[in-house]
Amino acid sequence: MTADLTTLGAECGLALLAVIGAGLLRAWWRMVRLLVPMFVFLVLFTVLALDMATAVGGVVRLLAISTAFFLFFQTTAPEDLGNALVASGVPYAFTFILTSAMQFVPVIARRAREILDAQRARGIRLERDAASLRNYPALLAPLLIQSFTLADQLAEAMEARGFGSPRRTFAREYRWRTWDYAAVIVGVAAAVGFWLLQRLIANSR
Amino acid sequence: MLAGVDLRVKAGEFVLVAGASGSGKSTLCRLCNGLIPHFYNGVLEGTVRVAGLDTRDHPVHELFAQAALVFQNSEAQLFNSTVERELVFGLESLALPRQEIQARVGWAAEVCGIAHLLDRAPHTLSGGEQQRVAIAAMLALRPPLLVLDEPFANLDPEATARVRAVLRAIHRAGTTIVLTEHRLHEGIEEATRLVVLDQGRLALDGEPRRVLREDLTRYHLNVPAVVRFARTWHLPEVPLTVDEALALLEQESTTRILTDYSDSPTRNPCIRVENPRGVPLQLRSVWFAFENAGRPWALRDVSLAVQAGEQVALVGHNGSGKTTLLKHFNGLLKPGRGSVLVLGQDTRTAKVADLARQVGFVFQNPGDQIFKLTVREEIEVSARALGRFDATWLESLYESFALHPLLERSPYRLSEGEKKRVAFAAALAARPTILVLDEPTTGQDAAFREALIKLLDELGARGMTVVLATHDLEFAEQVAPRWIALANGAVVADGPPDAVMADTEAMARAALRPTADFRLRHSSRLAARLPDHA
Repeated sequence: MTADLTTLGAECGLALLAVIGAGLLRAWWRMVRLLVPMFVFLVLFTVLALDMATAVGGVVRLLAISTAFFLFFQTTAPEDLGNALVASGVPYAFTFILTSAMQFVPVIARRAREILDAQRARGIRLERDAASLRNYPALLAPLLIQSFTLADQLAEAMEARGFGSPRRTFAREYRWRTWDYAAVIVGVAAAVGFWLLQRLIANSR
Repeated sequence: MLAGVDLRVKAGEFVLVAGASGSGKSTLCRLCNGLIPHFYNGVLEGTVRVAGLDTRDHPVHELFAQAALVFQNSEAQLFNSTVERELVFGLESLALPRQEIQARVGWAAEVCGIAHLLDRAPHTLSGGEQQRVAIAAMLALRPPLLVLDEPFANLDPEATARVRAVLRAIHRAGTTIVLTEHRLHEGIEEATRLVVLDQGRLALDGEPRRVLREDLTRYHLNVPAVVRFARTWHLPEVPLTVDEALALLEQESTTRILTDYSDSPTRNPCIRVENPRGVPLQLRSVWFAFENAGRPWALRDVSLAVQAGEQVALVGHNGSGKTTLLKHFNGLLKPGRGSVLVLGQDTRTAKVADLARQVGFVFQNPGDQIFKLTVREEIEVSARALGRFDATWLESLYESFALHPLLERSPYRLSEGEKKRVAFAAALAARPTILVLDEPTTGQDAAFREALIKLLDELGARGMTVVLATHDLEFAEQVAPRWIALANGAVVADGPPDAVMADTEAMARAALRPTADFRLRHSSRLAARLPDHA
């Protein structure tokens, strides 16, 4: 595992360059802001348990990993990922779980907000504090029930559009193109490069 | 669910299947594409054939393109990341070649008027757009039969009109259509056949005008206003539109002396009770914007005052700001600018829990609040949470909502209408002085509507202040002597229903159409027939 700050910083910097190249800097910043509480928690914990250097290293590592994942999910439509997996032999029903789950995150989030409003409107306290904790069944029970109903309705809707069909075509073609080969070569080269860099720094100490 | 139904739908028909909640409409729809029996456990006797295929012997994926089914809940039937992929999905299931898929997507999107939405994510669309996407996804399969299960249930009048226009175009192009609905006036004009289901049995079946002569209230169906009009005037034929009704009236040779029709409709007198605490609801130039929405203002300069004992309807299309405004009445949302006073309390400084004692709120979906194991607990929890538990009052609530037989049952297992009754009782459990209702009639049949009208009448008599948001103008006309029309978050009209509906400019801005009842009463052609009353 990479523990060296220079290497981590370089990794993070490269990923960030890609973010800027894709024109996603603003969206990336929004994601980073959401991660701030986690960073604080991580630093606090690591400083108390270990030392400052490990803490900073941890934060940079977290940032590098989340930036890489952010890039991947921002630039790849879930269906493309799923269909490409199918094209490489993964069963369709399995990849569909992966792709459809993501579509329903905003739907479930909206329902959660509506349930929260409905319960608060009848005086059930659901704030972000300890006193509200025992009232959380009022949010979670309806949300769970609605999720089950939604899943049932979704299953029906999918069947009604031939989900069970044994033979499918794909509207898009998924083939290896020059770009894909180039991306893989750059990726492997970067990984090897970072590994060498880390070795170099370790040996020079 | 269904018992002994014999039905043969021929190519080219447009069948409207009408029936109250629980009459078996959804069951019928699911029989068409084989979801029943392949997806549900139950007992199926007899045979269902779709395009000659016995649904028992063919799995759903062999039937889905023969009888394409569009569902009621538009949110749950779209499961792809873009509209285009939504249309592509079924075509991929048919294993069609790529070029054919592209051609069909383009064609179906054009017919349904969604070509400009192809790159959008389905969950960011309005309900009407979602429903047209769902129809386009089915149309692309070029099914000989298109089945729609209450597709208008969550749509406002404007969106409904657009979906109906799409369906008419599809029908003209040769597709057979089966449409279920419990509001007869949605779809009756284009239907070539009307089937009435009652408790799982086929009660009536035939040419729409012939079936409309029967007594439909027996089957808990809303008789369209034009049909009621025809009965009042003893017209020789059953009209389907306002124009037809007036044309028939003009043909009548005998002059009849009738009591002025304009005074006859069911209008509740507003019982005003003097409230010592004064104006229960007062809004002074309220502006409001959601934090992370694209649109800058959801409410624009809204000023209004609701008097004690008044029953007010907020009318407007979906997304006009009705629900946003309602949520200001109990502090769930706080004004960005301006102020909201609830019984003299400024909502910016008051807690929702404190305001909830005074304001009972019934949300559109009762499933958003049910979390207890029995109906009794579900209703009592509100009263206890607000520290206003009153056994005698609750007892009277159970009585008036006919909840006694349900009290020890699980609220999850109730029908949608029963759940709605529980939500009403829960909203009233803490003895509020103001009752707020969001789209109370959505998805509810005639029986529920009648019960609700009666209930609001009683509450009005007790001096309860009621504010309800609805796009169902037929209902609003019956319960609210005052309408406030909203368009893009601003009040465009405020007054008695007839005055609001007569304001053509405001109605256009609010994307609303006057009710058939209003158009009949205020027709100049009708006035010409009634010289004595001019």
